[in-house]
Formats: sequence, C-alpha cells, structure tokens
Amino acid sequence: MIWLTWRQFRVQAITAAAALAAFAVLLALTGPHLASLYAASGINGCQGTGCEHLASNFLYQLQAGTYWVVYLIGVMIILFVPAVIGLFWGAPMVAREIETGTHHLAWTQSISRTQWLAVKLALIGLAAMAVTEAFSLMQGWWAAPIGRAVGHGGSGPLIAMIQFSPLVFATHGITPLGYAAFAFILGVTAGVLIRRAIPAMAVTLAIFAALQIATPLWIRPHLFPPDRTSVTIDAISDISFNNNTQGVFRIAAGALAGQPDAWILSSGAVNAAGQPVSMAPEACKQALINGSGPSALDCLASHGIRVAVTYQPASRYWALEWTETAIYLALASALAGYCFWRLGRRLS
Amino acid sequence: MTAVLEARGLGKRYRRMWALADCTLSVPAGHVVGLVGPNGAGKTTLLNLAGGLLAPTTGTIEVLGGPPLARLARIGFLAQHAPVYAGLSVADHLAFGAHLNPGWDAGLARSRIERLDLDPGQRAGTLSGGQRAQLALTLAVAKRPDLLILDEPVASLDPLARREFLQELMEAVAGQGLSVVLSSHLVSDLERVCDYLVVLVGSRVRVAGPVDELLATHHLLSGPRRDPDTLPAGQRVISASHTDRQSTLLVHTIDPVLDPAWTVSEVDLEDLVLAYMSQAAAGGRRHLEVQR
Repeated sequence: MIWLTWRQFRVQAITAAAALAAFAVLLALTGPHLASLYAASGINGCQGTGCEHLASNFLYQLQAGTYWVVYLIGVMIILFVPAVIGLFWGAPMVAREIETGTHHLAWTQSISRTQWLAVKLALIGLAAMAVTEAFSLMQGWWAAPIGRAVGHGGSGPLIAMIQFSPLVFATHGITPLGYAAFAFILGVTAGVLIRRAIPAMAVTLAIFAALQIATPLWIRPHLFPPDRTSVTIDAISDISFNNNTQGVFRIAAGALAGQPDAWILSSGAVNAAGQPVSMAPEACKQALINGSGPSALDCLASHGIRVAVTYQPASRYWALEWTETAIYLALASALAGYCFWRLGRRLS
Repeated sequence: MTAVLEARGLGKRYRRMWALADCTLSVPAGHVVGLVGPNGAGKTTLLNLAGGLLAPTTGTIEVLGGPPLARLARIGFLAQHAPVYAGLSVADHLAFGAHLNPGWDAGLARSRIERLDLDPGQRAGTLSGGQRAQLALTLAVAKRPDLLILDEPVASLDPLARREFLQELMEAVAGQGLSVVLSSHLVSDLERVCDYLVVLVGSRVRVAGPVDELLATHHLLSGPRRDPDTLPAGQRVISASHTDRQSTLLVHTIDPVLDPAWTVSEVDLEDLVLAYMSQAAAGGRRHLEVQR
C-alpha cells in the first residue's frame, strides 16, 4: 500500500520538492545580504530608546532592495501552500478514483478499504505538513533579521509585521502544520462526499478560504480572554488620532510603548472614570480646532483622557500558536474519522 | 457443497429506487455462473454487493461462507468497464497486484501478459478495450482467488476479443479450479462458458439453477389451442403464445409431458432466458394495470 501511495503520488511529490528547491534558491541568494545589512545596522547589542530608530532605519533600508518583495512572496506562498495541497492532493485523492472507476479496482484487492485510506491519509497528510512547514521554516530563517528589528520596536515602510500580524502569525511557528493537515483532509472529505474532483476542489477552496479569513478576525482574538488596560496617551507608541471641528475625536492605539509585540485588539479614549469618550473637554476644543495633533493630544492628556486597550500580550504568542494549531488538527481528525466511517460502510 | 454466494432477502435501495429487491439466491461452488438479465435489472448491484463495494439496505449476503469484506483476499473482482489506472503502465499494474495481495502469483501474471503480447512499459490508458479487459482479468486471476466475479466483462469488446477473453477465462478456470460468477445481458456470451444460470429481471431473481437441469426441466409444447390453466398441476407455464388454432407454451416441469396432444421440443438457453424475461415484463405490466 505504501508502494501504491508513492506510485500515485510521486508526480505531486516531485513537484513539491521542485517548488521547495526553487524557493530555497531564492532565499539563499538574498538571505546572506539581508543578514549582513542587519549586522551592519547596529541593532544587535544596542540599548535603550535609540534601538527603535536603528530598527526603523534598517527596515526602511530594505524597501530600497527587493527584500520586501521576497518577504511578501514568501508569506504568500506559505499562506497558499495549504490551500493548493487541499485542492490538488486532497480533493482528487478519492474523487478521481471514483470518477475513473478505479476505486472498484483498488477496493477489491486483499487489503481493506480502511487500510487503503489510512495509509494514504497518513503518508500524504504527513507530506503536506512537512512541505508546508519546510516553506515556513526556510522563510522564518530568511526573515529572522526583520522579525528582530520589529521586535526592537522598528516599524517598516509597508507593513508593520509584528509576530501577531495575521500574515506573520499564520505563516510562522506551528500554525502552518495545522492548516496543511486540515486543508488536505478537507479536500479528501469533499471528494468523498461530492465524488467529482473539480467541484470538490471548488468547495475545498471556498471552505478553507472562509476559515482562513474568519480565524484572525473572529476566532484567534478570543482563544484566550484578552488583557485590558488603560494607559496614558504618551504610553502609546503608534497612535492614530483624528477629530472634527465640533470637538469629536477618536484615538486608536497601534502599539503599546514597551510592548511593541503585543497584539492590539481594540482601543479607544476613556475619561478619568474609565468611561468611553468621544467629545473633547471644553478646555481642549480650541486646541482641537486650531492646533496640530500633538498639542491637542497634550491637552487631552492633561485633562485626564486615557486610552483603554484590549490586547494579547506577546508572551501569549506560543500559547495562541499551539491552541490554534490544536484546533485545526482536531478538525482534521474529525474529518478523517468521518472519511473512515463513510468509506467503511457507505460508499461504492 | 458449500455456497460461494448466498443471498437472503437481499435488497439495495438508492435514494427511493430499489436497484435490487428481496433477492434470495444460493450458488454452489465449482460452477461458472452466468448472471443474465436486461440492462438495469440489478446485476451490477448484486455483484458489487458480493464484492463488498456496496452495503445491503436489507437482508444479508455471504460470499465463500462469510461477509464479503472479510473475504476480499479470496475474491477476484473485475468491475464493469474493467477499470485500470490510465497513467500506470502494465508493469505497474502487476506491481500493484503484487503489493496489495499476499497470495499474488507473479509467475502466472507475467506469463499471461507475455501470452497476451502486452508491452509491460505501455501505459494502461493507451491499451485497446480488449487489452484493458485482459489486463484487468490478469489482475483478478493472479490474485489466486477462490471466486472470480466478472461484471459484464465482454460488453465493450468486439466479437473476436470477446471470444479470446472468454477463452482465456475458461483456461484460467480450468487451471485453477475456481468458481466464477459473470454477468451479461447477452445469453450468447454465456452459453459457451456457463454451467449455471441466474436470471435477474426487474431487480428480482426469476430462475436459478444448473444449465443442464434447467434445459431438462423446461419444454416447448406446441399443439391445438388451449387455455394454459388446464395444464396438469406439475406444469408451470413460463410463456405462452397463441394463434387462432395453435398454442405454443414454454413450461417448467420435472415430470415427463405425457399428453399426446402436445408436440414436445427441447428449449435452448436463449429461449429459456427470453421466456423468463418476457414473463417478468408481462408481470410488470399486469402489476401496473392493477395499480391503475
């Protein structure tokens, strides 16, 4: 059965290996220079507030080269690899056999249908996880200097890629393992149910894409109850502020000073009593109408306006990675169980 | 003698349509069994149930004394349209058989492929229909099964390939002493190879038995016109046709026909099968009329 799995899978396996090799070459060609830029930036071993500037300088420096393009290509590849695996490895696995009638050949040999499915799911599922994680680890190695610069509070010219950014969280650590396993088995399940490869691929893509969008928006923020705090305005390191001439204003926090890696879920202005406010105190209205941002903010701060922030602290990064991966693996196991049940007693 | 195929009250329903209903059948070992019936009679459903590819909706089916899924290693199954992997070569298919069947007879498989003059390196997708059927038969036979199930194995073959296939089949059967169940909607295919016949019409078994016994107990009677209901108790009319003066009846009886009014002639397999098929069709029509 291992032989058959390999024989039917080898074209896909070779394709995946070639894609990995091409990606490795791209990273190997650009990685060393990126590392030398980082070494020359002086971020390593720096102390205090100057680090932030050094880190930002480094990140701006990258914009000039092709590094951001390579970075984004890498992130996109890691995001799409599980979907591609679900579509091209998962969905046709059973559906193509049914379409060509060869399931009647495969399932009337001496081994049981359960064994056929078990070996295929295990081997191709492990390959899916290995390939995806290999992409992620290679990209993680390449992008390590960027991650460290961001960790020092640097903000990039294009995207502030803290580790909790949806694109970074989903492409580093162990989450790619969960996505790959889930997408593959989702494809298999769609094939088992729909029995035709192309519609099964479409359904796989739709469901997986919907889940990938829903996860950072509605699921991940609530895996752990977020921390809540209220800080003074000057404790926000990346603030966005806007107001109108009637004195209505809004403050949003991009990052907390001292916790550049924390994941801000929501933020807003509150008064000294902790109640949300959107109308400036009378004393500050003139400053809002006339003045620039800083003077208005100073006035608001001196009148007791603070910023309430809900966030996931950076220390929860791995707990969230593990929890989300566990959820995806659990979904994958449930779907696999369904496939065994369905194939074991219902399908022809 | 043990049964290779034993069905009791077997039925299979797809959504709201019964593909096979209330099928009770016992096929003894050591026969080449022809399963014949018109298209859509339930032949494929019955064979897929026997091969463990379907689960019954009602009743039970046992193959070689046990449930089909527990007997997979002892059943050689050639599915309808003889599916093979288009992208795999002939040699790959033999490796497939070898890896998936502990009882695989590599020598038998290789010698069959050589005799059939199949190129081991050729992809199965480029084989002709006859070659594909032969390759699929090789896979089924080299597994060294005790029961070979063939679903319309010659339906897509031209007459020459058809004869060659059946010849190959008979040689394999003679060499290995296995039991065979094969289906066809053409009696002529079965006549040459089968010694046991099952007629399946409208998802029900109409008659089943050894061919020589069936031929010995069915007679074609012709004589002056008379009502079939006036026949002796032991004679069962399968089909009847009447002209103004004459009646021609195909009857089943285990006793000799003694009435001198009849001219008794022997039936051949084709007459017999057609009689059961038309009986079923007439029965179906009557049934419809009653419903109306």
